[in-house]
Amino acid sequence: MTIEIPKIAYAGKIKEIPLGRGENIITVGGESCCPFHLFEGAMPHPPKIAMEVYDRAPEDWPDTALEPFADVAGDPVAWARKCVDTYGAEMIALQLASTDPNAEDTPADEAAAITKKVSDAVEVPLFVFGSSSVDKDTEVLKAVCEACEGKNLIIGPLAEGNYRAIGATAIGYQHTVMASTPIDINLAKQLNILLGNLNVPDDKIIIDPTTGALGYGLEYCYSVMERIRTAALVQEDERLQFPIIANFAKEVWKTKEVRLSEMEAPLLGDQKKRGILIEAMTAQCVLLAGADILVMRHPEAINLVKESIQDLMIRGES
Amino acid sequence: MSKIICSAAIRGAHKIVGTAETKCEDALKKWGPDQEIGFPNTTYYLPIIYGILGIPVKTLGDAKGVLDKCKKLLPAPVSDKVWLPYLAPALEAGMATFFAEEIIEAIRYLEEPDFYTKGEDPLPDNIWLGAADDVIMRKRGVEFVDGTAPGFAAILGAAPTKEIAVKIAIELQEKNLYVFMCSDHEGKTMSEQLIEAGVQIGWPTRLVSFGPSYTAAVFAMGFATRAAMSFGGIKPGDFAGNLRYNKDRIFAFAMPLGTVTDEWYANAAGAINWGFPTIADTPIPQVLPTGICTYEHVVSNVPHDQIVARAIEVRGLKVAISKVDIPMSYGPAFEGERIRKDDLYFECGGGRTLGVELTISKDMSEVEDGKIEMIGPDLDQIKEGDKLPFAALIEVAGRQMKPGFEPILERQIHHLINYVQGIMHIGQRSIMWIRVGKAAVEKGFLLKHLGKVIHAKYHQDFGNILDKVQIKIYTDEERVKEVLEMAKKLYKQRDERVEGMTDETEETYYSCTLCQSFAPSHVCVITPERTGMCGAYNWLDCEVSYEINPTGPNQPIEKGECIDPVLGQWKGITDFVFKASRQKIEQVSAYSLMNFPMTACGCFECVATILPLCNGIMIVNRNFMGMTPCGMKFTTLAGMVGGGNQTPGFLGVSKHYICSRKFLKAEGGLKRVVWLPKMLKEEIAERMEPICEEMGIPNFPEMIADDTIGTTEEEILPFLEEKGHPALTMDPLM
Ligand code: SF4
Repeated sequence: MTIEIPKIAYAGKIKEIPLGRGENIITVGGESCCPFHLFEGAMPHPPKIAMEVYDRAPEDWPDTALEPFADVAGDPVAWARKCVDTYGAEMIALQLASTDPNAEDTPADEAAAITKKVSDAVEVPLFVFGSSSVDKDTEVLKAVCEACEGKNLIIGPLAEGNYRAIGATAIGYQHTVMASTPIDINLAKQLNILLGNLNVPDDKIIIDPTTGALGYGLEYCYSVMERIRTAALVQEDERLQFPIIANFAKEVWKTKEVRLSEMEAPLLGDQKKRGILIEAMTAQCVLLAGADILVMRHPEAINLVKESIQDLMIRGES
Repeated sequence: MSKIICSAAIRGAHKIVGTAETKCEDALKKWGPDQEIGFPNTTYYLPIIYGILGIPVKTLGDAKGVLDKCKKLLPAPVSDKVWLPYLAPALEAGMATFFAEEIIEAIRYLEEPDFYTKGEDPLPDNIWLGAADDVIMRKRGVEFVDGTAPGFAAILGAAPTKEIAVKIAIELQEKNLYVFMCSDHEGKTMSEQLIEAGVQIGWPTRLVSFGPSYTAAVFAMGFATRAAMSFGGIKPGDFAGNLRYNKDRIFAFAMPLGTVTDEWYANAAGAINWGFPTIADTPIPQVLPTGICTYEHVVSNVPHDQIVARAIEVRGLKVAISKVDIPMSYGPAFEGERIRKDDLYFECGGGRTLGVELTISKDMSEVEDGKIEMIGPDLDQIKEGDKLPFAALIEVAGRQMKPGFEPILERQIHHLINYVQGIMHIGQRSIMWIRVGKAAVEKGFLLKHLGKVIHAKYHQDFGNILDKVQIKIYTDEERVKEVLEMAKKLYKQRDERVEGMTDETEETYYSCTLCQSFAPSHVCVITPERTGMCGAYNWLDCEVSYEINPTGPNQPIEKGECIDPVLGQWKGITDFVFKASRQKIEQVSAYSLMNFPMTACGCFECVATILPLCNGIMIVNRNFMGMTPCGMKFTTLAGMVGGGNQTPGFLGVSKHYICSRKFLKAEGGLKRVVWLPKMLKEEIAERMEPICEEMGIPNFPEMIADDTIGTTEEEILPFLEEKGHPALTMDPLM
């Protein structure tokens, strides 16, 4: 007996967004089906992973996360190169964490100079994240836009409070933006409408719906992401038909479960393996919810997820 | 358009195109057609020509070609005998003017390379900056797009004195506008006047000295044209797109100071194409009707002390106020503050003294934005513990303002004042009550500051519907009484208006999808007689919310053809809800509990459900913790109703809706209600009265059982029977 698999014909399609520049452009999006439902539609561009690079040597990372980068921490350029050369990173996500007014409060021009150096050092698409402080990000990301004119960086987070200033600058210097909202489909849509009103071109918008770590509200993030994707595909909600980025590595590696050593919590097992698996599991979940770009940290977790994406992209017999 | 203006503009355009031709011919002779020309450091060539015609002028030969086009564009001079529709030819003349002027300026760059400084700042021996290069344009253009600089004033000529020049410049700077200056009036230029007066000019202070000739006006227009291409994604040659972008987004206007020559008219006519009106200080003819520009086209003879305010109004520019300028902190954190007796310095209203707050709308000409008047003694003139009567009269004006918005604006006063640190505000209208703490007075707080708060916050929160706000604060007994009298009359009118508004009188209802963040398929349909179930949104609120945020959660819905007046179903509503619920809800009734009831999100004030034994309906409010006759507490019920599902027999309702004439009309209305918690019954008692009168059962509230009578159906049924509750004899509910 043959089993007929029920199929849904999706009316909507995710927009294709070219990231980076020149010969190194990587396109994301373009899906015409739910994640990996290859029997129902196409996923012309499989999800991609952007490897994290920090602008300063991280002080609060567990050793298990720092180990692969111990030799480059504090030198963002070397760090980025290592990600590309040693770990084969397809994209880099520069976290300008030290610009946080509650941390080092690195000035905007300095952050822009760092970004410029990193962007000169690697050819792959470069994501640049501020510290999620509305006012400071405005300064920092505007400076970054100016310093890296024409490089088509992907900058964010653009929030309700600063999308105008950063968005306008991004238009002027031709960068792509990440529209960030706090786990809410309506706000996500609203911000995309506003960016459209500002005249940010449709091929320069990525949705950052906010992603938590496994065990820390991930299911809520999952369902919002899933709803954004289904609204885009099924209800043809035009203002939600953008690729989604999930920026969760920084969330994963600060959880208690990842930081406790085996001595402190013998029941939780090997600390290194645990961290890698929690990061990989979080990634796996958001992949299924519809994420197009994953911001990840640990090379081993990344390898696991890459493998998984490859497996899922094999089109079975239908 | 005025015939005088049109003929002058067309005359001017002919002169300017003629000049350009002569210059071009001379240059061609001297340098040949392949000689490169252009503005410095730009990829937009001569930007107006490039943006509007899509022609990249790279050489003198190219310029010649454009001038030939100009001549075709130029309308014949207006003769005295013909009476034509003048607007179109004048606008074309204006376009030709700009093309020609760009060529004149480009030839100037060729012949006198050092005529302009080509930088951001004037030099000691040369104050003329010339065209902005792409670096400046990009950097400054961002400010135009993100709103830090909403636009620019293109000033031609000079003010009568340097003092007036300074005053106008400062006023424009205060509105965050760029001031682009060119041309002279009787040999004087505004740029020179400012320098003489010691004002620093240049791009950094936003006072830009483009050039001494009227042709330098093209640097301002070229800036705007490039901004549209750079930030608006407008393609070169897409003239309609470019002009629309500028009209909608760049708040610019021309301000000729001094005698308006034919050449100036030609430039002004050109600017109208971009939607930039002209505001003049001389008595030239006015062109008032709106068409191309958002409002008027040419407004003239404006006194210098009003010219900036008038320009802003005519261009439809919104005032942005970023900070509430008072001596204490301000923000939602201080909303819940209490001022206790021991800390009290001063109080008014609240039954202690007369007190009233009133917001009214007026004509644009009657309101001076930012004017705050204090009539009577302020806190620095009284002693601790003194009492004063109080009236705050807030007068607003705006092109989008409707009298219907007045009560909504007035209702904001409560939280706006409460946000001030050290001040407590309770109530509204003539039952308002303000307490001022000692700490606030020590910091220098005055009643006058309340005006600043309201002015700033009204602009911030309601900028879309109002343009001007002025405030009068009275502590003078006689004057307070006057305001109170006026207020009482208005309150009465407003109440009647709201009362008189029914679901039948309005064709448009509103949606609210705010709660979709946690109940994805939920849509509140808000009608004049049915408020949102959270109690926070009524029909008028939605109307305002839509005006303020047209892409927000409150969208107007044309209710369309009525499907069933008793159930409350309309075609337009059905279609809207089907779409907005993501195709989950196929039909919805506004007035029924049993038949396609409205979905509920989770933040309803009350839940209504049926009591089959009593053939009636019970309602329980969120604050009531006890058991109810349906066998469930509020929390359990809430779990059953919420989540955006349609659950016949269960409904989320607001307290206000219970006393509406449309309350569950399909099930028989209020008459069906057999049980309410006592606290809820008391809360709505006053509003229930008129409805009970209308039902012909004035003592109906006494027939409704409450938690003191019983919390099971069996317990309350005998009570209902004894009272002869009408529900018992109504049609069966199920
Ligand atoms: S309950 Fe209130 S806030 Fe929620 S959707 Fe309804 S009206 Fe809007």
